[in-house]
Amino acid sequence: MAKSLFEEKMLANKFLVTTEIGPPKGTDIHEVVHHIETLKNKVDAINITDNQSSVMRFPSLGGCLLVKEKGGEPIFQMTCRDRNRLALQADLLFAYSRGVNNVLCLTGDSVDVGDHKEARPVFDADSIQLLRLARTLESGKDAAGNDLKGSPSFCLGSSVHPEADFIEPQLIKFDKKVAAGAQFFQTQGIFEAASLRRFMQYALRFNVKILAGIIVLTSARMAKYMNDNVPGITMPKAVIDELSGAEKGKALQKGIEIAVRLIKTIREEKMCHGVHIMAVGNERIVPDILTAAGLNNQ
Amino acid sequence: MLTFRTGQLEKSPPKRLDTASIDRSLVPPCQAACPLHMSIREYIDLVAQGRIMEALQVIRDDNPFPSVCAFICNHACEDKCRRSQVDDPVSIRALKRFAVEFGGDRMVQLTAETTKKESIGVVGSGPAGLACAYYLRKLGYPVTVFEAQPEVGGMLRIGIPQYRLPPAVLDTEVRRLSSLGVEFKTNCRVNSLGNLFEQGFKAIFVTIGAQQSRRLGVPGDDLQGVVDAITFLREVNLGLKPVIGEKVVVVGGGNVAMDAARTALRLGARTVNLVCLESRPEMPAFKADIHEAVDEGVILNCSWGVKQLCGDKTVNEIQLKRCSAVFDAQKRFNPVYDESITTALPVDTVITAIGQSPQIPEDFHLRIGRGSTIQIDPVTLNTNQTGVFAGGDAVTGPSTVVQALATGRLAAIRIDDFIQRKYPRPAEEEIKSLIGELSAQTIEYIKKIHRHEPPVRDPQARIKEFQPVENVYNWEEAINEARRCLRCGAGAEVTFQDKCATCLTCLRDCPYKVPVLDSRGTLQISADQCQACGICTAQCPAKAISLRKPYFRRTIEDELEHIGRTKNANNLKPLIIGFCCQYGLFGTGILSALWRSTKAGIAFVPALCVASVEADHLLRAFEIGAEGVFIAGCGDECARQNTTFWVNDQIKRVQKVLKEVGLENNRLQFYAPQNKTENPADWLDGFANQIGSLYLNSLIKEETRRDSR
Amino acid sequence: MIVAEQKPLPEIRQMIAPYKRILILGCGTCMTVCDAGGEREVTFMDNALRLMQARDNKDFHEYSEFTVKRQCDPEFMDILLEKVKDFDAVLSMGCGIGVQTVAEKLDIPVLPGLNTSFMGASQEQGVWDERCSACGDCRLDDTAGICPVTRCTKGILNGPCAGVKNEKCEANKEINCAWVLIYKRLEKTGQLDKIRREYPMRNFRAIPRPRRLTKTSAGGISHG
Repeated sequence: MAKSLFEEKMLANKFLVTTEIGPPKGTDIHEVVHHIETLKNKVDAINITDNQSSVMRFPSLGGCLLVKEKGGEPIFQMTCRDRNRLALQADLLFAYSRGVNNVLCLTGDSVDVGDHKEARPVFDADSIQLLRLARTLESGKDAAGNDLKGSPSFCLGSSVHPEADFIEPQLIKFDKKVAAGAQFFQTQGIFEAASLRRFMQYALRFNVKILAGIIVLTSARMAKYMNDNVPGITMPKAVIDELSGAEKGKALQKGIEIAVRLIKTIREEKMCHGVHIMAVGNERIVPDILTAAGLNNQ
Repeated sequence: MLTFRTGQLEKSPPKRLDTASIDRSLVPPCQAACPLHMSIREYIDLVAQGRIMEALQVIRDDNPFPSVCAFICNHACEDKCRRSQVDDPVSIRALKRFAVEFGGDRMVQLTAETTKKESIGVVGSGPAGLACAYYLRKLGYPVTVFEAQPEVGGMLRIGIPQYRLPPAVLDTEVRRLSSLGVEFKTNCRVNSLGNLFEQGFKAIFVTIGAQQSRRLGVPGDDLQGVVDAITFLREVNLGLKPVIGEKVVVVGGGNVAMDAARTALRLGARTVNLVCLESRPEMPAFKADIHEAVDEGVILNCSWGVKQLCGDKTVNEIQLKRCSAVFDAQKRFNPVYDESITTALPVDTVITAIGQSPQIPEDFHLRIGRGSTIQIDPVTLNTNQTGVFAGGDAVTGPSTVVQALATGRLAAIRIDDFIQRKYPRPAEEEIKSLIGELSAQTIEYIKKIHRHEPPVRDPQARIKEFQPVENVYNWEEAINEARRCLRCGAGAEVTFQDKCATCLTCLRDCPYKVPVLDSRGTLQISADQCQACGICTAQCPAKAISLRKPYFRRTIEDELEHIGRTKNANNLKPLIIGFCCQYGLFGTGILSALWRSTKAGIAFVPALCVASVEADHLLRAFEIGAEGVFIAGCGDECARQNTTFWVNDQIKRVQKVLKEVGLENNRLQFYAPQNKTENPADWLDGFANQIGSLYLNSLIKEETRRDSR
Repeated sequence: MIVAEQKPLPEIRQMIAPYKRILILGCGTCMTVCDAGGEREVTFMDNALRLMQARDNKDFHEYSEFTVKRQCDPEFMDILLEKVKDFDAVLSMGCGIGVQTVAEKLDIPVLPGLNTSFMGASQEQGVWDERCSACGDCRLDDTAGICPVTRCTKGILNGPCAGVKNEKCEANKEINCAWVLIYKRLEKTGQLDKIRREYPMRNFRAIPRPRRLTKTSAGGISHG
């Protein structure tokens, strides 16, 4: 039996579409709720980010509960930056108990890139160890080997970086994540179909689902900023040029166009098993993208 | 050799006893090579700092007649100068001449008290005799010098041409000896030593030289127009104006031959040919002399022997035969001739200069050895007669002036030993340089600065008269030349091995890559390689390194305390303190313009090298009340490597503290002139203006603060 | 070696404010080597504090300098016992360990003049890099002699995160990604299988604080 609705769709070999929503910095959840309601029926699952870029926010798990409340399918993004193994396990147990069964296991960004640079980084575990931790809980034991009264069951995912400039160690890590129990991967932002194609040639050796991460750029400035400041992202010059070439006021439209073009290519060529749309702070445009990419028939 | 130095008799012991002020330096090769073991490194350094009077003082400590040596020393020191491994040796003799002339050696007055009653007789007034008389007077003995010639000086007077040693220089020395109380008896040939003892002399130093010229020993050597060089030079020097023909041939390849040839030119000879057995590289004369002689027009005919002299009564031709080898396999003088190759030169006058030997009067009853020289005990200089000592060319055969001076000094000590009934202890150890060769690596890192030869006058002009050929350096030339000295043996040393944390700071900072770890992992700074720049002493975090010989006039600390004490008396505001390279500052280089343009309120602290100014010193300068502090280096003129980098390093550190204290960064600046057209005075004006306005601002701020309270 | 840096002067000044006679105490070992508290830096601190005092004209401190071979061995402090009678406080230029060792021995306040940074290696003159976290569970054999616990900003044990760009760390673009270095070195030495292994979470039990290391049986007994 599938552990979640999302896993069910995975098993059905459907072209998967996910997107992500960043929780608010504060207690005002109106906007998030609005986005959830807009998107819940248009995508297969909604990721809720976990203090993304090490910027303190409303918790990921809280966001997932909201998705659940509104009838959507959440993917719980979980990083190891802010919790030690006790907190990680506790949160996993809690998530499962509330029906949040999809977990994206991540190491987490360095605190140095965030807004609380003086914080103590925890990193008691890394992404692989977190996957292992979740699978251990499923076996009815905690990480210290104690018996659990009632054990969870997860659909686990993680991330992979097909456009890394030094790919070999990333591939090894990908192998290890699969071995540790990852069933699906939402990749880091993809900007070139070619790099995804190369990665997939390798990734298809495993029975896992790969969702290509699509970052929607809203301006050339944003592209440059991400290129310079966001960990792991290298923006192709062609993309930046295309964005800067856009007419005034039409940059967002151009960004959408680029994202849609990429999604269509991926889908038409059946490169991977789905897409994960990241509209960094612009969740309202996701429906337009879905429409333009012809993915609206969820 | 004895380790005696007159300086040690006269100098007071060092006052401070902390390690930093104790001289732990090794004897440099120049000092070891000098028969007088002069403190060459020290006086060259003083010249480099422009402290000429002090340089002269150091020179006079070791040398009774520095002006004489300044003109004619054969400078064995330069032959051993390690700078020649890098580029060329330091021009030591010419620098000495600069020091004696600009330091005013002429004006030096000497006195000596007679503290002993035993009179000493010196027979012969050559350099050895004069030196002996000088030191005997210093030791307090009454001294009488006997000279057969009408004038005092021996070979200095009659053998050395005036264009090499101006007679005025010698006159000054003789006058000075007279004022020291030496009694001279000229035109007084001593025939019997016994007579002298009868007259009451308690000891006698025989130093009658080697003035008997060797004869050619070929047919015709007794013709008219053939003269020996010693006679010829003596007649010229004593003003007897010997007559020579238009075509002169000098026979011989040594220094006397050069002197004779060049003198003949000056007397008006139209052609002067020099004939010698040796090939040009084998010629025993000093290279520089040969060079100058050729410049003046002397024609060298090397590898020729004299076959015979021809002429009717008067010589008119000299016939020569090829000399195929001068020395045999054992390197002994044993010329071989090829009689089939001959040539001839027309000639009016032949001057022979093929060597001299002593001529010791039989009535002296001295034991004579090889080459007609007096036999002596080399340790005591004693002859076979009690109370009779001998030295100089009469003992060694023709030698150098500086060697004669050293012998004279030793004779004075030995005579004192004799009179005072002291056991004449042989020298405990020879003065040897302990310095090895520079390594290829060190050489690579040493900035190449070629020797600047002292200027010489135009050959065509100089052969018309007997004025000195060589001019003295000007200030700038002298200081730049002196700065080439590598200060061998005075470099850094890990003074406190127990303090050394082996942090490797020195190893990494040394611009010459001298510090190394030995096989046991202990840090070693090779005395052979260290260039004594002082950077490591300023950087060592444990303060475990110091220079073997501190070259500070005053320590920087002392200098700062002095400024601190006097600033209140002067009440000059705002006070600016400048740390400057002590070599550039007082010299005539670019930096000295700073010194010259100094104004009231600006105090200078000379530093061995600006890279060795410590951060502490800069802080201290501000603490004692400086409103502005600067470091001035020599820029392009710097003889060392990379100094700018180290200065900036220290400045950055101190600027950080200034910021924390609330002082502006630009109160501390580094100045290094980039080229010669730049006038440092302009920079100093600008800096002083900046400090002036900063100072004013701080006063206003202070006022407002006080008012608002 | 332990590496430290001097505290900012204003902070030191605040600490020493209540005390008149102050002994600036250097350390002749690590702190000398890392240019933070050797004899030279003691003089530097002395001069800097005196300059500060001279400019303000209101402080009243008297400073004295002394440097011991090593502040972290109590025997060296015996030399101090007599000396400190003339002082109201000690400004220690030792590392945190030195400050504590001195403080345990003396009855007057001992103030830290330095911030102890890390255990590091010198890269070149004046540049130190952190190399060891003293985790008590060394596994450098698995990581080609490059410590991921210290040199990976997240201390990841299972390979690089996705933040690596141009082989540099996401937290600091000046710093090489430790895992890229590890990968390359393992590859060079034919040990890539080591990076393919999955490493479990670290055992922090190995370092209950404060730790003690006992190498002699006598020490073991006395500390029982």
